[in-house]
Amino acid sequence: MSSDPEIATFPASLGAAARSVRRRRRIRGSSIAVFVFLCMCAAFVAIPLYVVIVTSFKPIEEVTLGRIFALPVHWTLTPWYKAWNTLCTGLSCDGIKVGFFNSLAILFPSLVLSIGLSSVTGYALALWNVRWAGTFLFILFICAFVPFQIIMIPLIVLVSNIGLYGSVWGIALVHAILAMPLLTLIFRNFYKDIPRELINAAIMDSGNFWHIFREIVLPMSANIMIVVLILMITTVWNDYLVGLTFGGISAAPMTVILANAVVTSRGEVIHNVNMAAALLTAIPPLVVYFALGRFFVQGITAGAIKG
Amino acid sequence: MPRVQFDNIAKRYGTLAVLHDLNLTVEDGEFLVLLGPSGCGKTTLLNLLAGLIEISDGRILIGERDVTDLDPRDRGLAMVFQSYALYPTKTVAGNLRFGLAAQKLNSAEIERRVTWAAKLLQIEPLLNRKPAQLSGGQRQRVAIGRALVKRSGVLLFDEPLSNLDAKLRTEMRLEIKKLHAELGQTIVYVTHDQIEAMTMATRIAVMNGGIIQQFGTPDDIYEQPANLFVARFIGSPAMNIFEATARVSPGGAVSAGLDAVETSIDLSGYPFAARPIEGTRLSIGLRPEHFNAGGPNGAAQAAVFDLPIRHCEKAGSDATAYLEAGGQVVAVRIDPARARELKAGDRLRASFPLDRINVFDAQTGRRL
Amino acid sequence: MAVRWSRVAPQIALTPALVVTLVGFAWAIGWTIYMSFTRSRRFPDYTIDPADWYAQYDRLFGNDAWTTSLRNLIVLAIGSALAIVFGFILAAMVEREKFGEGVFRTIFLYPLAVSLIVTGLVWRWMFNPSLGIEAFLHQLGWTSAQFNWLATPGTAMYGIILASIWHGMGFYMALMLAGLKSINTEIWSAARLDGVGLWRLYTEIIIPMMKFTFLTCAILLSLGVVKAYDIVVAMTNGGPGTSTWTPAYFAINAYSTRSNIGFASAAATIMLLITLAIFLPLVLITAWHNRQGEASRT
Repeated sequence: MSSDPEIATFPASLGAAARSVRRRRRIRGSSIAVFVFLCMCAAFVAIPLYVVIVTSFKPIEEVTLGRIFALPVHWTLTPWYKAWNTLCTGLSCDGIKVGFFNSLAILFPSLVLSIGLSSVTGYALALWNVRWAGTFLFILFICAFVPFQIIMIPLIVLVSNIGLYGSVWGIALVHAILAMPLLTLIFRNFYKDIPRELINAAIMDSGNFWHIFREIVLPMSANIMIVVLILMITTVWNDYLVGLTFGGISAAPMTVILANAVVTSRGEVIHNVNMAAALLTAIPPLVVYFALGRFFVQGITAGAIKG
Repeated sequence: MPRVQFDNIAKRYGTLAVLHDLNLTVEDGEFLVLLGPSGCGKTTLLNLLAGLIEISDGRILIGERDVTDLDPRDRGLAMVFQSYALYPTKTVAGNLRFGLAAQKLNSAEIERRVTWAAKLLQIEPLLNRKPAQLSGGQRQRVAIGRALVKRSGVLLFDEPLSNLDAKLRTEMRLEIKKLHAELGQTIVYVTHDQIEAMTMATRIAVMNGGIIQQFGTPDDIYEQPANLFVARFIGSPAMNIFEATARVSPGGAVSAGLDAVETSIDLSGYPFAARPIEGTRLSIGLRPEHFNAGGPNGAAQAAVFDLPIRHCEKAGSDATAYLEAGGQVVAVRIDPARARELKAGDRLRASFPLDRINVFDAQTGRRL
Repeated sequence: MAVRWSRVAPQIALTPALVVTLVGFAWAIGWTIYMSFTRSRRFPDYTIDPADWYAQYDRLFGNDAWTTSLRNLIVLAIGSALAIVFGFILAAMVEREKFGEGVFRTIFLYPLAVSLIVTGLVWRWMFNPSLGIEAFLHQLGWTSAQFNWLATPGTAMYGIILASIWHGMGFYMALMLAGLKSINTEIWSAARLDGVGLWRLYTEIIIPMMKFTFLTCAILLSLGVVKAYDIVVAMTNGGPGTSTWTPAYFAINAYSTRSNIGFASAAATIMLLITLAIFLPLVLITAWHNRQGEASRT
């Protein structure tokens, strides 16, 4: 048939095939360039970690050789041992293990206080009829951006008056206060996505604020809890300023001890020990990141695509 | 079972009044359907009764109790939602138990009720499944079960069948009607589907624009629609409306001169509530299913129409002929066998019995 | 009459948050601003001399270290903005890269899990002239190479900028990736059909479509830069001299080292004002953007 589309376009489709072959080859060329560039950037990002690891396993003689990128000839755990047990922070030489246990002791109350407070607040603002909810959310939004320094001194006054200065609970309290605006907004946005009819059904069935939270809403919060946990674990463990300001001497977290040891110490600078100490400080959040990072991304996208 | 009473209900959103001075009484054990198009206020009224939103004015009584200021769970109600609203992290059994646990019943009683409801709705094999594993119809049953276990006197339904396919809808209609017969609860049921309303209700409140257009039994609403809106809303295909002018003979007999067709309809036998005067504009309502397409059958007095066919619609068990009447389309139900013989352009002679005519005032829309 | 628990219960549950906001933020901010008008030193002194309420601010802006801090703030902001540029480039490449997208994303994002103290220490180590990268370059034969930025006042800030970029690049890449993924896939197909070259595609179509993402990144970056403290402590502790001081560092120093509450409060108040100046455009543009979105939907 003269109207046969195949015949009519036959030359054109052949040309398209030829063009697409050429383009495929060009694309492969450019995609190799992309890959190489990405590898170079990945190297840039990975190299500092490599340097720290490598330095921390070198005996001091190799460090002074100045070959920063070379692998250790004699792998040794001595710097690690020294960092853990005998690192000096100007006042004492008890090692960074003190900081590790302090950070651990700070972490759990901080998580409990901040997540407990923010999840309930976000839940109340998202799903219950509170007339001033909109205004309050806007104020929280502003508070999320307030720099720490502007509330630091009055918080010190407050925490001292409560008697929590220099204790892990004092630090935990400050972390909870600082995290509340952002976490509340995160929880509120997540809970806002729960279908209205589901909450109405729960209101008709039970009508009890806490019962509904415990039985219905919390079990549905797995995704956002992971996101918030990772966020808070990283924030609290890696924090320096709050721990420095509110920890005093007895509750100094790992970052503070590390900084004291390396930055403000006098006398000989022992680089491999310092790097081992830095690595010890960095490992816990890195473990969380590599283990749960996948859930973190899932959690964010789940919140976004929900519905 | 308690009766439900709405007294002077008003609901405003800012300056927009969704409901204004609405009064309604639902008798003990009644199956009341709130029927109307989207935005007519029926769901708002249901939510006000449930306590999910607050009244601007008026009061609600359940039984003899004024529940206007009470929380939803204190009103003694149960509700079935359009999207089922099952708790996703709980099993079917957990969903059924949830409301009862809040009522502080002992666990033996809770289990008894759960088993009873599961048996009643035939969802026993599903008790350990989660909602995500159920089909739409199964979820619907669980939602109904969740409402039934509370053994409340009043049961609310918010368009529960609109998410089901046609076949399931028919099945569920029967089931809900059966449940009402067995359990006898007072039911308030919201829908936009007139078939659901006509088949299930003991009484229907037809609503539009926040106002109850007519409140009566399905038969009343079908036979004697109170205004043009109700007349057009009930019945499928919709009632044919002819614009006409009233003519009063010197003897007082009324007849209607139709605009579209050279026919005058004798209304001397019509039971007027308010007799029109000469020249009043009328709307004459003729239901498609009351036409007799075989010609006048002599027994009853009839108005006769002889009009060309635009097209015929055949749907297996029934057929409708659409006739051309001066620019207006007239729907006439005909026998499917007859429809096979007809084609566009043919003339069809149909008579309409005078005792099935509906007369409305063209300006106010009200029945005369 | 029964209490409407559905109204009361959530408000009771919100009291802790209310208390935290009122006390921990509202009162605290007000207190600090008030202090900035007083002559408090080690302990709060609540008297204000009405004729001289701006005394601390006078001292502040007459202080060389403060002007250095403000200058460093701008330098740091501009320099760190490269993190946004690199973030976008990385995101664009990762998005196109079919092989190993997940691995690359994981690698680029891990610095975020590292504390700024550790980041600073590690880069300080790499900047070490005799044992770090400079030594490495010398060993390669490039004996005149200089990589000792932290030692001279003029270049120390650049070292901090480099470490900041290293730390933040992945974050901006993640934001850009989200923005890129939200672009309708049909745009790419349409561009291919039109035969638009890659460079033009990105500069004329993609980047303008991502205006809002870029703006968000810019504002988040600025807010992060205002808070820059940890990285300064770890890399240079403010040195050499005061050449790497930032406003955050200045405020902390005024409080902890100089024990001058009034002075520190003034510095903190200026920090707040800077934050507000960055924050207000964000609010306005978000509102404008939302209204735009609504308008396009109607």
